Amino acid sequence: MKIKVTINHNSVEWEILPADTLLKVLRREGFFGAKSGGCQQGECGACTVLLDGKPINSCAKLAAQAGGHSIQTIESLGEHPEKGWKVSAGLHPIQQAMVDSGAIQCGYCTPAMVLEAKALLDRNPYPSETEVREALAPVLCRCTGYIKPVQAILQAAAVLRGEIQPGVLPTGVPMPPDWLGNLPEHGQPSEPSSSDMSLQTRVMPKITIAPQTMGWKSVGKPERKVDSIKLVQGKPAFTGDIDLRGMLIAKVLHSPLAHARIRKIDTSRAKSLPGVAAVLTWQDLPRVVYSTAGQSDPIPGPLDAFSLDQKVRFVGDRVAFVAAETEEIANKALELIDVEYETLPAILDPTQAMQPGAVKIHDEPEYIKFDRSDPQVNLAAQIRIDIGSVDEGFLLADRIYEADYEVPKVQQAHIEPHVVITYWDEDDRLVIRTSTQVPFHVRRILAPVLRLPIKRIRVMKPRIGGGFGGKQEVLIEDVAAHLTIATGRPVRFEYTREEEFTASRSRHPMRIHLKTGVKLDGTLTANEMTVLSDTGAYGCHALTVNGNTGHKSMALYVGDNEFRKNPNIRFYADIVYTNTPPAGAFRGYGVPQGCWAVERQMEKIARDLKLDPIEFRLKNAIRPGELHPFSTAWSEGREPAPEIVNTVGLEECVQQARTAIGWNEKYGHADWHSSTGKPYLRKGIGVALMMHGTAIPYLDMGGASIKMNDDGSFNMMVGATDLGTGSDTVLGQMAAEVLGVPLEDVIVFSSDTDITPFDKGAYASSTTYISGTAVVKAAQLVAERIRIRAARMIQVKTSQAVDPKDIRLSDRMASTPDGQSVTMSEVALNSLHHEDQEQIMGVASYVSPVSPPPFAAQFAEVTVDIETGQVTVDKLVMAVDSGVIVNPLTAAGQIEGGMTQALGYAVSEEMTYDELGQAHEKNLMDYHIFRANEMPKLETLFVEIFEPSHPFGVKAVAEIPMDGVAPAVGNAVLDACGAQVDQNPITPERLWRVLRSAQSK
Amino acid sequence: MILEYHRPKNIDEALVLLGRISPVTLPLGGGTHLSQHSKDDVAVVDLQEVGLDQIEILGNSIQIGATVTLQQLMDYDDIPLALKDAIQLEASLNTRNSATVAGKLFTCDGSSPLATVLLAMDTRLVWLPGEIQMAFGDWLPIRNLSKPGKLIAQFVCPKQTTVRFAAVGRTPQDRPLVCAAVTTWPSGRTRVALGGAGSAPLLAMDGTDRGGAESAAENAYSQYHTPWVSNEYLKETARLLVHRLLTE
Repeated sequence: MKIKVTINHNSVEWEILPADTLLKVLRREGFFGAKSGGCQQGECGACTVLLDGKPINSCAKLAAQAGGHSIQTIESLGEHPEKGWKVSAGLHPIQQAMVDSGAIQCGYCTPAMVLEAKALLDRNPYPSETEVREALAPVLCRCTGYIKPVQAILQAAAVLRGEIQPGVLPTGVPMPPDWLGNLPEHGQPSEPSSSDMSLQTRVMPKITIAPQTMGWKSVGKPERKVDSIKLVQGKPAFTGDIDLRGMLIAKVLHSPLAHARIRKIDTSRAKSLPGVAAVLTWQDLPRVVYSTAGQSDPIPGPLDAFSLDQKVRFVGDRVAFVAAETEEIANKALELIDVEYETLPAILDPTQAMQPGAVKIHDEPEYIKFDRSDPQVNLAAQIRIDIGSVDEGFLLADRIYEADYEVPKVQQAHIEPHVVITYWDEDDRLVIRTSTQVPFHVRRILAPVLRLPIKRIRVMKPRIGGGFGGKQEVLIEDVAAHLTIATGRPVRFEYTREEEFTASRSRHPMRIHLKTGVKLDGTLTANEMTVLSDTGAYGCHALTVNGNTGHKSMALYVGDNEFRKNPNIRFYADIVYTNTPPAGAFRGYGVPQGCWAVERQMEKIARDLKLDPIEFRLKNAIRPGELHPFSTAWSEGREPAPEIVNTVGLEECVQQARTAIGWNEKYGHADWHSSTGKPYLRKGIGVALMMHGTAIPYLDMGGASIKMNDDGSFNMMVGATDLGTGSDTVLGQMAAEVLGVPLEDVIVFSSDTDITPFDKGAYASSTTYISGTAVVKAAQLVAERIRIRAARMIQVKTSQAVDPKDIRLSDRMASTPDGQSVTMSEVALNSLHHEDQEQIMGVASYVSPVSPPPFAAQFAEVTVDIETGQVTVDKLVMAVDSGVIVNPLTAAGQIEGGMTQALGYAVSEEMTYDELGQAHEKNLMDYHIFRANEMPKLETLFVEIFEPSHPFGVKAVAEIPMDGVAPAVGNAVLDACGAQVDQNPITPERLWRVLRSAQSK
Repeated sequence: MILEYHRPKNIDEALVLLGRISPVTLPLGGGTHLSQHSKDDVAVVDLQEVGLDQIEILGNSIQIGATVTLQQLMDYDDIPLALKDAIQLEASLNTRNSATVAGKLFTCDGSSPLATVLLAMDTRLVWLPGEIQMAFGDWLPIRNLSKPGKLIAQFVCPKQTTVRFAAVGRTPQDRPLVCAAVTTWPSGRTRVALGGAGSAPLLAMDGTDRGGAESAAENAYSQYHTPWVSNEYLKETARLLVHRLLTE
């Protein structure tokens, strides 16, 4: 059928099918700014367009319904400010504000946010913050925590009203040492705020500036993200935003059973369906055992997976692959595959996994063990760490505290689903264009699976619409690759949202027992954690995630006095297989689980001993110059090496955050706790302290190459994988600082296994630190060549001897101390065209011998309904010691977004299963992540302490905000109503049961 | 799969199309459900041009056209605040801009705040042809039964009532785990509806003796639970919410 529509003010006629959704037609017609979140109820909003000026979900509207109407997509708004000879109108004020305010992280939902804002401001030029949040509520963002998008829209409203000028960067300033309590709130919602002229500073975090950073021109500044202009325009930058001639659509038949053997599989009916190009089963593929965990070689875990197997191990496991001309045909073909299963007993409870007589989930002969893994007893990994003399430590304690804790399985829920496109290039090399955090690991791991040498595979990583660890898995690339090999044609495979829940990866659920010895003065004498962790059907990341559970959370509290030098810590973990979807990497990588238990336990001890909970923690916390207690015991399955922790900003973090949240006025003040006017509502305040890591020492490696162009700009190629975190930007800032040019002169490209240097990928909070050092080293090589040439040029010009060492690079100039200079472009032209020609370039890589931990203090304020058990989180404040902050906007965005994810872990997010292993949560309605209109107040503070092991003094920032929110909320709930909820998330019923149980006692 | 798309210009054309036996022909509102969940081969009749998108106050009733969108209804000044709150929880703005009242109620489940409030308000449906009226509460359990040739024209709610609504969720904007709505009439009549479980909200009480409302709420959920809340929690929280709505 044909429809006529007005699209972006142009009348067009489209040929469509009655069943086509508007989203499908828009993307087919080249409007790639409307994104797909794979959902089926319009719950993510990434596909937002304006229909007759109103925002709708284009995935949940038939294209036919749009006939006769006006559609507006992001492509109608704004353009790049530089368009050659053609005068550009520039970005729309909303887009400009999003760029300026740091509102864009992965950018996948950004076009939708811009359109929501457009519709709002068209009808209401003076919106309040509440109205902006309501307008943004349909668009789920997993990156930002919504603060900066909200502020950007308020700023755009002011620009559109003519009150302020567009394009002004936030004016972050170093805070004086006595700023505590003296400055207005930053990043805080306040109402009404639509005409507040301080908007530009309200997206900035508070920072105490390290003195070493004074004089830096790029590092430490709130630079615009280097990818923000394309993302805010909805350019086709993501994996799925291309269409190749003859491309097939792939689908996977998933197991309906939790544990079964495939007796018989008949694909004849599916293959005979017109439009089906290939159907693959386990009988068609080489049987290569591997691990889907995207980690360095050798994989620190068991090899226990096959592309397709004769056995299925969870509801959602793979049974067959289909490639067809259309999605509809592919789905129909799945229905025509006849499978006869032999149902096997299933293990759904991890406590049953190692019981005598339990069914063996991995009985395949090809299974390759790692370390202590033992498939005979369903053990994927086992950890036994003893530091000091734990049993003696318990004997020295005045009190022993023991408790059990439980943490749930949760989903990464990146808004861009897993998506991959594969094809043979003109040299018959297999190209894998994929949304991955680990392009180089994808290439290495898949080569044997596909029976191709590494050199015949090229992996390209376009922009990524969020990953959070979920894309540190070689999860779907093999599906498309096998089908391209089978058909010779390009293949596209994209997960639906339901598949993200049923056939992807998650955070490991754990049951944790803690035993802590304490003296009456609050000195910890010994701490013992015993973990039963559920890795699901496959052991990807089993050892390393769970090792970090103890490695980070337990290392923070070494004890005081004589225990400080000789802490007594025991960490035992059994990581078992069950017939549930596999767990894997998820931001925080095991640490949030450990922090939940440790920080709840610390709170209980402090209260029982009547100690101040903050002072008790700080008394036992690790201090500068002390040995990381785990550094001699464990290193992600590799040889450990002793490591001194040089910088610890914990006390400063506590001091600043407790002031920001008003701890002294609230904690222990009865009046404040019941100040709501409703007798069943109680307020509470809680705290948690955290320590994380920065990369894996002696293992994580990043590389960078930089070359100079004719105009004095630079191409920088990094293997590091920006998945929305802003790593391209902060790496560019470091290069710009060394080279003495503005960030706009550094063109950052990441990552392509054919073009960029190796980088292990985006995980373990390593990019700013590891890849950043590689960038600095490469830039220093370039700078050295520039200095030599500039000295020679100045010498010729002035006939005076110039020592290259005296040349300073700054403001696009190479200058001598007495003011003689040449420009960068003069140096570039000289080197490339004029004399003694050379390509000025540098290539470098870096591996660190240390992993300097970031530290943080997390505070939470809640209101509890003691009758229904409903917990409302009112405010979160986090102060972070991440070393020097390279970009305050992107770093604050990391903290705000991380706290928001962690907020879900605290109160709403949980993956549960029925007695047959079927998932209860298959969409983003039942699995609830926070929306813009229900967020608590968030505040981010940075304590800069120069970390001496990095040229710019940085430590990691990305993962630590995941760690403390849940226990701080748990402790605030305890403060509010005395309830000890030891299992998260703290759902209404969970708290209600604890309260009721306490009443009955 | 949707095989045919029709957009009639008036009710009569729509009724003719909807009267067809083959292919199975369904009314299409905003498309938020059918665009994604039509596995069977069907034809759809888009009602956007048949004129059922008006809200009117007539005497003591609010007449809501079947294809009024949720946002249209939410923006209407003369509806109870409780109904606005329920719509707010029912769906976010994008869905509210598309989804029609009839479509949303046809596809809702037992946790629907909108259906819970409309049930408490003793809403009535008007069917075409013939303008036949039916109680919303009677329709909810049988709404999936095929009615070829028939079409919901409007929902009629009483105006002179006091409506209150309360919900418990994991977060402030979460779809309710449990919710309750209470409507009281000047005559003293009180009607209590509950949401949270099952395929449709439940009517817990309708009468003038409010004393039994809390027990009625508890009894109404005596056989229910969901993957997210136990029977025990449902019962006790329903009782509590009704207590609050009646006493606060």
